[in-house]
Amino acid sequence: MAKMIERMLLRFRLSGLGRLRSQKNMIESYLPIREEIVRQRSARAIQWMEFLHEAKMAPLGNAAGRPTATVAAAREAKVQALRDRYRLKEKALAQTRKRAEAKGPLSPEAIAGFEESGRKLVESRDRRIAAILAPSRRSSLSEAEALRKFLEVETEQTEILARKKAALRAKEEKHLDAIRKRAARQIAHLDGKIAALRKMVLERHPAQTGDADLPENVLLRLQNLSMRFGGLLAVDNLSFDVKQGEIFGLIGPNGAGKTTIFNCITRFYRPTSGEMFYRRNAVEVIRLNDFPVHQIIRQGIVRTFQNVELVWELSVLDNLLVAAHTVYRSGFFAQLLHTPGLRREENVLKAKALGVLQTLGLSAYAYAFPYGLPYGILKKIELARTLMANPRLIILDEPAAGLNDKETEELAVLIRKIRDDYKCTIFLVEHDMGLVMDICDTVCAISFGRMLAIGTPAAIQADPLVRAAYLGEAS
Amino acid sequence: MFEKLMWVLVSFFVVYFALDLLWFRKRAKRPIYQQRLINILLPIGILAGLGIAIKEMTVYLFLQIFLLNIAELCVLILATTGIVLIFKTSVTTNFAQGTIATVGAFTAAKLVIYLTKNTALTMVPKLALAMVASALTSFLIGLFVDTVIFRRSKYLSSVGKQMITMGLVLVLLGLMPLIFGLLPLTIEQFSYDGKMIQLTEEMILYVPDHNILTAIITVSMLTVLFLALRFTKWGLGVRATASNETVAGMMGVNTRLITALSWGIAGAFGGVAAYLYAPLGTQVTVSFMTSVQVNSFLASVLGGFSSFGGPIVGALLINLFASISSFFNSVWTSVIVYALVLILVMAKPLGLFGKKTAKKV
Amino acid sequence: MLGTFWKEVRGTLSRVVKHPYFGFILLGVALLIVRRFAELGMVSPSLYKSISSMMIYSIIALGFSLLLGYAGLASLGTAGFVGLGTYFIGHFSGTLQKPFGITLLVALGGAIVLGAVVGFVSLRIEGMYLAIITLGLSEILKEVFKSFTAFTNGVTGLTFRNFMMFGKPVPDAAVDQAIILVFVLVIIATLNIINSPTGRALLAMKNSDSAAQSMGIGLMKYRLLAFVLATVYAVIAGLLYMADIKFSIPGTWSLDFSLNILAAVVVGGAQSILGILLGVFMIFGLNMTVLQNIPFFRQYPDATWILSGVLIILVTMFYPGGLIRLLQALRLKIILLVRNLRKRWRKYRYGEDD
Repeated sequence: MAKMIERMLLRFRLSGLGRLRSQKNMIESYLPIREEIVRQRSARAIQWMEFLHEAKMAPLGNAAGRPTATVAAAREAKVQALRDRYRLKEKALAQTRKRAEAKGPLSPEAIAGFEESGRKLVESRDRRIAAILAPSRRSSLSEAEALRKFLEVETEQTEILARKKAALRAKEEKHLDAIRKRAARQIAHLDGKIAALRKMVLERHPAQTGDADLPENVLLRLQNLSMRFGGLLAVDNLSFDVKQGEIFGLIGPNGAGKTTIFNCITRFYRPTSGEMFYRRNAVEVIRLNDFPVHQIIRQGIVRTFQNVELVWELSVLDNLLVAAHTVYRSGFFAQLLHTPGLRREENVLKAKALGVLQTLGLSAYAYAFPYGLPYGILKKIELARTLMANPRLIILDEPAAGLNDKETEELAVLIRKIRDDYKCTIFLVEHDMGLVMDICDTVCAISFGRMLAIGTPAAIQADPLVRAAYLGEAS
Repeated sequence: MFEKLMWVLVSFFVVYFALDLLWFRKRAKRPIYQQRLINILLPIGILAGLGIAIKEMTVYLFLQIFLLNIAELCVLILATTGIVLIFKTSVTTNFAQGTIATVGAFTAAKLVIYLTKNTALTMVPKLALAMVASALTSFLIGLFVDTVIFRRSKYLSSVGKQMITMGLVLVLLGLMPLIFGLLPLTIEQFSYDGKMIQLTEEMILYVPDHNILTAIITVSMLTVLFLALRFTKWGLGVRATASNETVAGMMGVNTRLITALSWGIAGAFGGVAAYLYAPLGTQVTVSFMTSVQVNSFLASVLGGFSSFGGPIVGALLINLFASISSFFNSVWTSVIVYALVLILVMAKPLGLFGKKTAKKV
Repeated sequence: MLGTFWKEVRGTLSRVVKHPYFGFILLGVALLIVRRFAELGMVSPSLYKSISSMMIYSIIALGFSLLLGYAGLASLGTAGFVGLGTYFIGHFSGTLQKPFGITLLVALGGAIVLGAVVGFVSLRIEGMYLAIITLGLSEILKEVFKSFTAFTNGVTGLTFRNFMMFGKPVPDAAVDQAIILVFVLVIIATLNIINSPTGRALLAMKNSDSAAQSMGIGLMKYRLLAFVLATVYAVIAGLLYMADIKFSIPGTWSLDFSLNILAAVVVGGAQSILGILLGVFMIFGLNMTVLQNIPFFRQYPDATWILSGVLIILVTMFYPGGLIRLLQALRLKIILLVRNLRKRWRKYRYGEDD
């Protein structure tokens, strides 16, 4: 009984630990978004200030014969529009004449009439353009006086504008600083709580550690992992490390238990025995066994699926936003009311999603619906989706399945690019030996849930056990 | 002593069940030892609960109430079998089962009126003819529904097919007053007599003839169905189609014929059920089968759709719950039954005898 | 400068017109005007009654569409929840004469608890079985309505007369206005939910549980949320129903009612608000405004169900997106036609190269 209470207490405390860590992750991942929102807001304020400045200067500039930049641009646009319109009119005239000619030879009066209309068009066009470009002088001041006044006011106003801008920037900096400080304070507070709880767990339950020590460069460690389905031992006492920043490949014949391992890491299955440790950051190491499925992504582990699992009713962009689900801070009532806060978040995340799509060369599909897109594109969209949640470890389940050779080559380049650009580790299961041997830094071969060999691609290719498992050679 | 033991068992089950719902539920999947534990505890809990209740109401009364309710039990079993048969071949739950059966009952009632007016048949052949008519009408409607609607919507999801059956309910509910008129009709029992069974000296039980007849008809129909499923080509086809329709089709099984026949037979079962249910103190109205329909659904969910036997046990359990709880509290009977079934289904989401098919991620 | 200013104004105006709320707010204003006409006698009161019933049914259908169209959960418990709403207001505001605030609190509390319970059930039981289990729950509620006479007045039905708010009885005109207001507010709330992370999370869950979970969407939270929302909508609609119709018997809250709501959502288009309004009109509105005036349907009132049933079957078989898809396709065709005509006109007027 006491043991059962003990275990219940342990589970309770560990779930508390998990909750605290998720909170911390939420604060961390939300900080850049909050910063972007503040920057956007001050950018808009500056725009508005400039607009007011222009509004003040424009009449004076007109009077002085020095149109301000906006006014000049507006005039230019107007002139362009006018030219376009007259070009069309001329074409219409030419068309009418052509049709008249097609009926038979034109009389001299008709020709004269057409030419007269053409001349009139050109004349009226030039007149109207001149009217637009001519300075409108409604002021009672003389030109020189107006110019003097304009210059005077301009220097003064520019100075004021510059000052205001500087003040706004300073305010923005201050605001950003305050936000960062608050986040840091909250994180420190949470860190304190986490450390205290961790210490308590370590002290009270020495047998079942919530944490473990990992070497500095190891991101994920599986320790004696076993998974049993009824009588079948799908994974048998497997241990290996995935190092930070590498592309780690897991290979094996059909039914070797590769996907089962993935499902254990992402908590879709609970392993029969064994531990999984994961380095959240430089100081924290967590035990993945303590987290439920939907909390895994908050730790920075994102996965793709063997068969594409996109939301067919949503556009590609919205699909990416689904993956950013954990980054949103707005609560349900904010969503019910569509508060400005939520809209700002959406804007920032949409910009981020568009950026990700651009990186993967998918910009053309941003507003398309995934239904009916080619399979290669869908796979890429799934890959793009993983990047939305600030991942540290991306788990790819057979990324090249169903792709042709060219697409596979593109995929290899893309995977490398993602690893380098987004500074994450990639862990993949694959049947395509070419791809695995091409991009992986470390390859682990398994068969019937047991480790055959682990090492560099070259070493794996040479390994007799692997050859036996794949080719059936007697070793 | 017996009662104390039973109470202990029941309370142990309740505590475990509460823990399971509130605490173990949080995990992604139950560990195996918990599954085994609940597999053992559930029947013990149910049996212990029934034991206490029977002790409380005395065995004599229990048997008497059970025998009086046996007709309803048989009706429930017939309706449930029809639903399961359709589930096996079309992978959907047929909401229109009860309504199709109602059309059969209406035809039977009309036929009885017609025969009384125009022929000089005695009661028994008249009623027998009516029963056959009821079964035949429902059979034809089932056939029609499959060939016209379900054959064309093979690729819909199960929930989509389910919605089609719901639409069918509305269509038939609208059509029936047009065809059969707005007035409720009645179907007579074959005989209003009963038999006395003397168990011991002071235990004399009464069984109405209608109940005996219902039981005989049900048992013979079920026997024929099970023999057909086991030994005929059609039965083999049904089993193949249930396991995988596409593959069965590729292997040369005429899935169209098999599905159509299954719909027809399910309809006929429903028609007989409706015909036997109508004389039990109700009149034939458009919605008189609703409660049987709901109960047979619950019975199939309770027993699990994956076998034919499970739903029959489910029907038996529901009937037992109903007869026992009507003894203790006649007002809240159906609420108690539904609540019990819901709790049991929460404990075993795939039914008491359901098997889980593994889902790949 | 003035030009720029007008441009801004024009831009703002077009933004307002194109805003998703605009059409629905306009609809609300139009309904208010129709109500005024009904007061003046230009629209028959029975027609207006059916319009306000349609609004109430739309509220229920909107809640149901969140369940069916977004979360992908088929439920047949709707009727029970609406009935519960009617009895809440009938008992607390009618029989006990409590202030409306208390009624609302109790009703919302009840709705949330009940929705959470059903949501909890839906965690274990999925797909087709869920429809059956919710049907069972609805039957339980119906039995409770029949048997719990202190609360519901049993099978004879509960009549609702006056209804106090701020210590004064509420006139019928205010109820009518309140229905329009709640109708518009519910549409806006639904739009907001659909176009927010919650709506996307529900859709993700509908497509694949496991993919949704791996993206950080907790099944428990969103299943419960979907059911709580649908229940709250249904209970609010129940309150309005009782305030409007003033009578409720258990027989109304049976399977047919749930099936009709389902029909409205499926026929119109489960994922579009306009579609749902269209579906409610097809299933309830046509019946109440047009068919009731035909002698045949007056003799056989249930015959209108044939129409609903046939519509459900045809739409499920041939137009899985609902009738609104047909209208959308029509709109697209018209746009293409106009574009084509314009192109040909330009070719005629300006010559080949334009």
